[in-house]
Amino acid sequence: MLTLPRRPLRIGVSATLALAIAGLIAAVLWSILAAATDAGGSSRVDIPHLLRMTSIQAGLTTVLSLLVGMALAWALNRLRFWGRDLLVGLFAAAIVTPGMVVAFGLLSIWGRNGWINQASEALFGISVSGSIFGLPGILLAHVILDGAFAARILLARLDAIAPARLKVGQSLGLSATQRFALIDWPAMSLSLPGLGAIIFLLAFTSFPIVLLLGGGPANQTLEVAIYSAVRLDFDLVGAVRLALTQIGICALVIVLASSGATVVAPYARSAEPQWRDGALARFLQASVLAVATIGFVLPLLSVLFDGMAGGLGRIFGNPSFWAALWTSIGIGAASALLTLFLALALGLGRAATGSRASRTLLGTPGYAYLAVPAVVLSLGFFLLVRSLGVRTDTAAPYVVILANSLLSLPFAVATLGPPLDAIARTRGKLVRSLGISGWQQFWRVEYPLLGRDIGLMLALAFCFSLGDLGVIALFGTQDFQTLPLMMFRALGAYRSNDAAVIAAILLIGTIIAFVGLPRLFERLSHAYR
Amino acid sequence: MVKSLSSALAVLVGLSAVPALAQDTPTLTIYTYDGFAAEWGPGPQLSAAFEPICNCTLNWVAADSSIGTLRRVQLEGDTTDADLIVGLDTAIAGEARATGLFADHGLSLEGLTLPEAWTDSQFVPFDYSHFAFMYDTDKTATPPRSFEELIALPDDVKIVVQDPRSATPGFGLVLWIKAAYGDRAGEIWEGLKPHILTVTRDWSESYALFLDGEADMVLSYTTSPAYHIIDEGDDTIKAALFEEGHYPQIEVAGILKSSDQQELAQQFLAWFASPEGQKIIPTTNWMFPVVDLGAELDPAFAGLPQPQKTLTLSDEEIQANSSAWIDEMLAAVQ
Repeated sequence: MLTLPRRPLRIGVSATLALAIAGLIAAVLWSILAAATDAGGSSRVDIPHLLRMTSIQAGLTTVLSLLVGMALAWALNRLRFWGRDLLVGLFAAAIVTPGMVVAFGLLSIWGRNGWINQASEALFGISVSGSIFGLPGILLAHVILDGAFAARILLARLDAIAPARLKVGQSLGLSATQRFALIDWPAMSLSLPGLGAIIFLLAFTSFPIVLLLGGGPANQTLEVAIYSAVRLDFDLVGAVRLALTQIGICALVIVLASSGATVVAPYARSAEPQWRDGALARFLQASVLAVATIGFVLPLLSVLFDGMAGGLGRIFGNPSFWAALWTSIGIGAASALLTLFLALALGLGRAATGSRASRTLLGTPGYAYLAVPAVVLSLGFFLLVRSLGVRTDTAAPYVVILANSLLSLPFAVATLGPPLDAIARTRGKLVRSLGISGWQQFWRVEYPLLGRDIGLMLALAFCFSLGDLGVIALFGTQDFQTLPLMMFRALGAYRSNDAAVIAAILLIGTIIAFVGLPRLFERLSHAYR
Repeated sequence: MVKSLSSALAVLVGLSAVPALAQDTPTLTIYTYDGFAAEWGPGPQLSAAFEPICNCTLNWVAADSSIGTLRRVQLEGDTTDADLIVGLDTAIAGEARATGLFADHGLSLEGLTLPEAWTDSQFVPFDYSHFAFMYDTDKTATPPRSFEELIALPDDVKIVVQDPRSATPGFGLVLWIKAAYGDRAGEIWEGLKPHILTVTRDWSESYALFLDGEADMVLSYTTSPAYHIIDEGDDTIKAALFEEGHYPQIEVAGILKSSDQQELAQQFLAWFASPEGQKIIPTTNWMFPVVDLGAELDPAFAGLPQPQKTLTLSDEEIQANSSAWIDEMLAAVQ
């Protein structure tokens, strides 16, 4: 039986936040219904068809991303080579890079006019391109985004396997397969439900990538129909109905993911590996890494190349670039800190209870914002702010910070939740017998162990929040510019070179954050101890 | 740097978002779409030119899209801050008029150089261009001269278009084909289907696909080549002119009934539709002006080939049928 310390305060704070988050979503939907002047109901969407297509696409994306993620994490955990940290940073950077940037990076490698086809035409005089457009293109782009992210999170789990456990395994002479099944799998499986839910939700609600690479309306998501109901038809009741359909389906996935039983896995800080797998396994690991590097890193490299070719000087000489940069950093930092607070409060509360029902209740709202269509969220926030009697332009920065935090919360929960659970279950007895307070438990037991994960989570939330302003689409945004917005504006004004430069700068900043922040926080948490 | 840092901090406490309004000069609040108010768009230059004349302040408030501005005033109703909306177009003018939110502009609007006669009493046109497919003369020697010629090309000749539910040109293409082919529109869409590489959410994405060489043609405007000539010195990008004629996008502005600045708003629109205001439009919004600018029009614009024939549909027809036409298009290319 579990022997968790009694932590009513943690559970109380966590429950309050979970309720507040769920309440906010209800308020968003209610404010839209209240604004609907007539019954509308003109939406003529083939919902079953959309749901079938979207579910197939999202399901395939999830399975492929998790498989790729596990293989990649396994390879990265074993191999040590020059530039490994940079590579890990690049993989992690994919998910927070604006999806359009990744999609265009993908095309500049695999497209009709891409590197591979150009090389083939130059060398052999033949064009190799089957079309990347259609379901394969969507899946490839999603797996690049999500599989690399899964790899980064799972790698953190593998790196956290207790050295003692590895020592025992090594002395028993486990084969590479046995080692994976007995040591790696239990560590990774703890994170799979949360990761799977996030990836499914991201793929289910993916909008621009699906349209860009989908090749036509046959491969579409509900989000497009909802966008159309809100904007084109102005059928607010219909939009809420479609949004509820999407939220309902996503909620099923989330509940399944957050009610999952927890596996007890020892949790410790990583040590340099002394235990190398056999030659065959190492060959396999190197191959996985090579393929992933070509598949994942080349598109991102092409983004960097295009950016360098676009003329850095013109961008650096533009004062509004610097203003946008600082706005992005400010928004990102504020959102990341808020996300950290929310994720810790929810995660600590969830880890402090053994009941399956309360774990589900505390776990579900954290994911919920991924399920709410962006256009509905932006409309709802606009109406809410107005009904509070606040000027929308005054509220805009706060709404952006709040919305960005809520949108990055699932990633934060997926990063911090499993280690918090593992710590609660492996050190619960110790904490109980010591009789220390909740604060002491956090500062002396949890924080020192979590340092690297907190850094990773902050990097995720920070980069995620650098500048998606979709949520304030109606607020009046001309004086409020972040780097991603500046990039899209440049693209919309024919200035594709400027857009390429900004995309490259965003990518570089993201990689720096992913390499730097986990190290920084590991050092800080060491220092405290 | 120091200034930028402080502005970033100001954003966090919400200071910079409060427009710095002088108390003694009147303010005209104008809702528009994002690109219009952005630093490269016409907004800043219009402010710089008009504010000294009117001794007033133009306060641009940008929504993410043209239709977003209309939806915002619909949601705000009589409590809206907006005096004007700048940036609706003729495809949604009928729906905008039906909201009953707009006042008569009261201007005479003579001597416009629009492709069609202008009789609208509520909306003032401020620029226009025709929808057209762009091609690259280095890659396509002989562009198709009609939809039917395009359809007859080999299937590996690819075009990119935009989703009519999220992008203005995408909706424009639906209207163009309907105006040209009427009941045969579905057939034309089915013929185009094998050529459609993809249907993007926004114009910018499809245009980028075309510039990257992923598609042979992209749905854009007859004025798009002017950007490449003027800003990049590149004259290889051209609009393919179709014998059926082309459908225009005419962008319009309207005054809201609820505005307490009716006179000032009219003064702005009269100036905006005059050569003084119009000369700002071509090289900021990359569209044709609605008056004859004579020598002040950049030669790159003056030299652009123009369609022989302009197709039209009435506001009422568009409003009554747009949903059905979009469905017809989606069903045909599905």
